[in-house]
Amino acid sequence: MRRDDLRPALFGTAIRDRVLIRLALSENGLHVRELARQIEASANAVHRVVIALERAGVVVSRPVGTTRIVLLNRRWYGAVELRALLDRLVAAYPEVRDRAGAFRERPRRIGKPL
Amino acid sequence: MTLGDDAGLVDVAFAACTVLARAGETAVLCGGSAAAYYVPDRYQSLDIDFVVEVGAAPHIVDRALSTIGYTFASEGHYRHERLPFTLAFPIGPLSIGRDYITAWRTERRGDALLHVYTPTDVVRDRFLHFWAWGDRTALDVALAVARARGADVDTAALHAWVEREIRADASYDASRVARFFALLQDPDR
Repeated sequence: MRRDDLRPALFGTAIRDRVLIRLALSENGLHVRELARQIEASANAVHRVVIALERAGVVVSRPVGTTRIVLLNRRWYGAVELRALLDRLVAAYPEVRDRAGAFRERPRRIGKPL
Repeated sequence: MTLGDDAGLVDVAFAACTVLARAGETAVLCGGSAAAYYVPDRYQSLDIDFVVEVGAAPHIVDRALSTIGYTFASEGHYRHERLPFTLAFPIGPLSIGRDYITAWRTERRGDALLHVYTPTDVVRDRFLHFWAWGDRTALDVALAVARARGADVDTAALHAWVEREIRADASYDASRVARFFALLQDPDR
């Protein structure tokens, strides 16, 4: 993440903004390490943000195998409005959108050419 | 107020709610633990979830719960040395989907009290868990509460709420709604 990033940290910190925006671009959620890689932040920092957002009810996580998948909580009382805002904010984070676009969430057969 | 070694979920819930009320805090039993209150033979939980009114001071909650042996374990969680039940305080406001919850039941047992979701709210809260995540256990619990407390469950209110949720988020799976209401009307389906 660039230190000279002048975009406002609307949700408190730049990492928190990016976590939420990246999750809004995800259909099925992401595990913390992938989420961190996608927004170019450390896994520890993203983990701390996820814990705080989960405590607030904004995101949920569920175990999948040996890891946990994080996703926006559609049961949260402000979920629809938050998603609408995040959909707008994506335009201000083209690098997050581009990385998300290049990341395949659906299953892909092993050995299938790209 | 003391809790014996054989205290169950309902005993702990009454004790916690009462000491918090005496400290000036209103805490409402919600989530799966509220379902366990209405159908203890069908569903049990070791997590007792309360939502306290926004702005409750942590030190007041700490002090009140310490009088019944519960101490702070981690953010929003309290543990008891001898009892398996954990008290959890999810951040409010109290809400189910997009609806804010502003009314609840207040049950009394001697001089103890318990604020708890109404049966209708427990049903829609558990159903929403199924609706959003496909959690079958939550569906079973919603149906169990609806059947056990049928006279107290407002089916028209459930339908109206579902309509509001679908209007707000059209991506919700409509087949799960149909399945829920079909099972509600005919348990043998």
